[in-house]
Amino acid sequence: MGYEEPVTDYDKIVENCTCAFCGSNCDDLDCLVKDNHVVAVRHACRLGASKIMEDEDQRLKVPMMRNENGELVEVEWETALDAAAELIANSVRPLFYGWSETSIEAMKPGLELTELVGAVIDNQATICHGPTVQAVQNVGYPLMTLGEVKNRADMVVYTGSNPMNAHPRHLSRYTTFPKGWFRKRGRYDRTLVTWDPKYSDTAKLSDIWIPFEENGDYEFVNAIRAVLKGKKLKKDVIAGIPTEDIYELTEKMKNTQFGALFFGLGLTHTLSKQRNIDIAIQLVQDLNKYTKWVLLPMRGHFNVNGFNIFMSYEMGFPYGVDFCRGYPRYMIGETTTIDLLNRKEADVFLVIAADPGAHFPSGANMHLVDIPVIQIDIHWGPTTELADIVLPGTFIGVETAGTSYRMDSVPLNMKKAIDPPETCREDEWIVTELLNRVKKIKEASK
Amino acid sequence: MEYILKNGIVYDPINEVNGEKKDVMFKDGKIVDNVSDSAKVLDVTDKLVMPAGVDVHCHLAGPKLCLGRLYRPEDERRGVKPKTDITRAETGFSIPSCPATGYRYSRMGYGTVVEAAVPPLEAKHTHEEIIAIPNIDIPTLPLFGNNWFVLQFVKEGNIEDLAAFVSAWLKITKGYGVKLVNPCGSEAWGWGMNVHGIDDPAPYWDVTAREVIRGLAEANEMLGLPHSIHVHPNDLGHPGNFPTTLNTIDCMKDIKKNSEYRNQTIHLTHAQFHCYDGTSWRDVTSGVEPVADYINKHDHVTMDMGQVTLDETTTMTADGPMEYDLYELTGLKWANKDIELETASGLVPFIYSGRNPVHSLQWAIGLELALTIKDTWKVALTTDSPNAGPFIRYPRVISWLMSNQRRMEMMDNKEVHSWAARKSSLATLDRDYDFYDIATITRAGPSKIYGFEDRGHLGVGALADIAVYDLEPNNFDPSINAAAVEQAFGNALYTIKDGEVLVKDGEIVKVVSSRHVWSNVQGFEDEEKRVIEQIMPMFNKYYTVKFENYKVHDHYAEPSCEYKINASK
Amino acid sequence: MKQITLTPKKFSSIALEFDELILDEIYNWDKADFDKYMVPIGNSRFPLNDYFNIEVKGSAQGPEDVKMVIDGDAGRVKYIGCKMSAGEIIVNGDADLQAGAEMTGGSLTINGNAESYAGREMRGGELTIKGNVKEYAGTSYIGEWRGMSGGVINIHGNAGKQLADAMSGGEIYVKGNCDILAGIHMTKGYIQIDGDVTRWPGGQMKNGTIVINGKLGRLLEGFESEGIVADPEVDGRQLTGRYIKYKGDIGVNGKGTLLLNAEKNRSLL
Repeated sequence: MGYEEPVTDYDKIVENCTCAFCGSNCDDLDCLVKDNHVVAVRHACRLGASKIMEDEDQRLKVPMMRNENGELVEVEWETALDAAAELIANSVRPLFYGWSETSIEAMKPGLELTELVGAVIDNQATICHGPTVQAVQNVGYPLMTLGEVKNRADMVVYTGSNPMNAHPRHLSRYTTFPKGWFRKRGRYDRTLVTWDPKYSDTAKLSDIWIPFEENGDYEFVNAIRAVLKGKKLKKDVIAGIPTEDIYELTEKMKNTQFGALFFGLGLTHTLSKQRNIDIAIQLVQDLNKYTKWVLLPMRGHFNVNGFNIFMSYEMGFPYGVDFCRGYPRYMIGETTTIDLLNRKEADVFLVIAADPGAHFPSGANMHLVDIPVIQIDIHWGPTTELADIVLPGTFIGVETAGTSYRMDSVPLNMKKAIDPPETCREDEWIVTELLNRVKKIKEASK
Repeated sequence: MEYILKNGIVYDPINEVNGEKKDVMFKDGKIVDNVSDSAKVLDVTDKLVMPAGVDVHCHLAGPKLCLGRLYRPEDERRGVKPKTDITRAETGFSIPSCPATGYRYSRMGYGTVVEAAVPPLEAKHTHEEIIAIPNIDIPTLPLFGNNWFVLQFVKEGNIEDLAAFVSAWLKITKGYGVKLVNPCGSEAWGWGMNVHGIDDPAPYWDVTAREVIRGLAEANEMLGLPHSIHVHPNDLGHPGNFPTTLNTIDCMKDIKKNSEYRNQTIHLTHAQFHCYDGTSWRDVTSGVEPVADYINKHDHVTMDMGQVTLDETTTMTADGPMEYDLYELTGLKWANKDIELETASGLVPFIYSGRNPVHSLQWAIGLELALTIKDTWKVALTTDSPNAGPFIRYPRVISWLMSNQRRMEMMDNKEVHSWAARKSSLATLDRDYDFYDIATITRAGPSKIYGFEDRGHLGVGALADIAVYDLEPNNFDPSINAAAVEQAFGNALYTIKDGEVLVKDGEIVKVVSSRHVWSNVQGFEDEEKRVIEQIMPMFNKYYTVKFENYKVHDHYAEPSCEYKINASK
Repeated sequence: MKQITLTPKKFSSIALEFDELILDEIYNWDKADFDKYMVPIGNSRFPLNDYFNIEVKGSAQGPEDVKMVIDGDAGRVKYIGCKMSAGEIIVNGDADLQAGAEMTGGSLTINGNAESYAGREMRGGELTIKGNVKEYAGTSYIGEWRGMSGGVINIHGNAGKQLADAMSGGEIYVKGNCDILAGIHMTKGYIQIDGDVTRWPGGQMKNGTIVINGKLGRLLEGFESEGIVADPEVDGRQLTGRYIKYKGDIGVNGKGTLLLNAEKNRSLL
């Protein structure tokens, strides 16, 4: 990678934009705009910058429906919206999935539509940090905003996540490198620890690397907790880690002044699933007897946490909420997307701002082949190949303003920098249109 | 639209109306003194009529609530109600979903409810929830007691800049008044520590709660805010904490009030949690007497009860260290949320039981306070919802206050543990509140405390926020009918908000948006600008969001109810 | 005595929900009542008799006088016996999610396999599953720290992951094998597994007893051995043979008991 000349040819700078990529929601981006295109992004990481600048790449620009030959062809907005509304209004087990890359403003009519037709509404948490939410529900949630870590933390632990690749500015903007009020020397005032079977890029930067064995997370944390309670460990090696290392680490964690534990899908999706998080949370709770510890899940999409928050305050449950009986129900494994698809229950699938085609297990995707799929998105992706109706949205945080919640639940108003393509419509508008059309159909059939 | 509410028995303490049979007329959302012949008549002959309720202190919207809902699905599935043609589905018992919160307050005849703790960084979240709560006006109190800028100004003794900061931050957060929670203690919790008493400085800051309370009070009065400082003192829930409570209110006695409407310079919130004597949970006794005695002798302080209702509930407060103590006590799931540069907070589910001696004593202490403070204008009814119990229990608390017979019955029947009678003076207090007293502690007093001149009463020009209950005060003795009192106050015959009937016969008949109530201070603009410029380097360096994205943009606070305050410098 | 027989005649991939068809509510229903009953499926309701041949014989004074037989596969019928307090239900085939959830009395027998959440939050009664059961049998509702508190669950086959989470009473017997983290967070009650266990029974357990008669794959460090006991007695239950006795989980200051068959777990000695 060679040196790139700074971009100087631009019309205007839009400052303090919020990045619409990962859950770090960096809100310090300066978008350089020329001819209604973002030609450069200052402060963003490569992931964020490329997503923002390459907004036109494989862009869905017009509404489409699948014709009798099975090809997606352009149709009028009216036609596509009416067809989608008809499918939704007549379904018995509709499932509305996605929402993590759109705004709270778009979720509102989405929930209203869900309540109206008695659908299941769910987001990407169901395939990522759902186990985290379950663990939180079981044992609690000692967390903080990221600035607490920046200003106070002298020990930062990452486990089951590799922020250097997945949340590239997490260390530099929030946790490890910045100079904080009580950590005037930034990185030099902190101990960085990675627990991970892999020697990840984050592990390479760390002062301590604990490579516990795969699926060994629960056992490893259980051993630390036993040591905290004064137990002498029996085995020489636990979950792949020599016991003396466990003693040493425990001692360090007890004697730090402010510790922060960040965890990712490496913890949520190994053998013990939510129990890995469950026991990690309890470890942090235990450590607070000695000193200050907090934790935070490394949320992926920029508004995946926002959906969980939105659903909690609107309807009391964070994700996988089933309204088929006229009131909300929440039961992991029963009202959650993958289960409903694997069991072939869903009969219409609306997907907004998500790519199940790329992320779902094949069994679930097999069912999507068999049922009508309505896609609201900005890019052509594997899901488009499964879709029967495609409704092109706009890019939140670049083309359309909206609210999102950072991984630590700090709410942000994401600005817009450029205008959307004329043929696209805002997510909020599309969902509201669907809602109004379904209302009409329901009223007519009364 | 014009209405005439006919022949009710009206209790309107601000206008000194005490159980008079009269008509209440309103037009276009306001109370008027006459209406035309075409006015719609609502016949409420002999029924109990009051201004709509005003709640001085509740936790109903914002990040803590949301965290509570997110992590307590077992609470959410209690109180589930399917949607109707008018209402959305309801969930939750101690931490109801937003729609349920609005419906339930509305059914109880409430019109205004204060959200008592908003971390400025997440104020947008609070306002988003207010948008989702229907049927009540919601003022919010941003948290200032552990804010780093506040600590700095206080340390410098720079009250004018502190006032400008408060004024600016009320605009930025669309907040109504100044809240302090465990001043300096929640900052100490940033290190897993706490402070004890009002003269124990926050670590590294060398600033004490006394200095913070006095500094913010002086700033509050410099701005002439409609509400006084609203204080959750240090040492909440600790046996032997009453001296801290006394010190907190006493350190305020020389602060000069700058408001014509309210009487107090400090509002002591959820006082029940702050009136404990003894040294541990083994020898704890009521500490009400000295606190009530002080309040009876001084007019600069008002309080609300924080009445324990003996339910399974969810505790939540910006008092982070207290919640950890509670977790160590109960072992139930502990959540915590520290907010950079501003505050801490914590949550723990809690099961109050009448079989438990301590909980029973707490139950007694709340009632003891309300019954020993002589002037009902100094008392407001709260349960610090959901901390001491969910707000849907207000009708029950009213029934306890109105009936010594019921209180004695509970103590005699062992519905509460004998500690209630043995360790407090409750069993010796035979005072019964009457309807005028209830109207005072649930509407008139609260609106005075908050400086709401336009609500909490039924005088001409006031908002047409009215509650009618299915009780006939002239043919009914509340002191021997506790169950009927509870039933009536829980299911308003009518709840009228801004002149619209929202509840009829205990059911929601109309849903309207709640307003965001906030204070917009006029006349401090130059100072605000200067102070913001002055603190900006520190803001940019230590917050993790940009200032532009920090504030609550106007569209988050629509529809708004803005009070313009003329600051008198 | 009354017998209600539902014989499946049509399959619905969208599950039928039987939470309203508990014996407490329907003991006095006659054939006509069943014929007009609309069963919830997804966001709609459909006639029950589209899906079942319904036969009602005899009469009943209360739920305890009723036997309901689902004579065939109910693999897409959720909430069978959910919240039942008395009477008897027999399923001659598989049962879907939440079979016997929140039951307080009576008996539910499933002659096939059961899906997840069988016996969730059971308070009483007897649930028997002749086949295998998936995850979370006898568990708590999510977020709830008070799980199954009474009654008996008999599983003749194998049990899936996280059996009896937060169990606070009652008994569970598994004749087959059991997957990870059986009895996690349990505070009281008795679990007996006759087959093999993969890993980590009793994680974060505070109290109660887990007996494993088969071979254990992996034990947590949070368990401290108290040596070998012969023919131990647990709350009146007489076990025979030699067991290694553990106390745990130390991580939560737990005082739970884990009894491991000594012969089959020699490697731990």
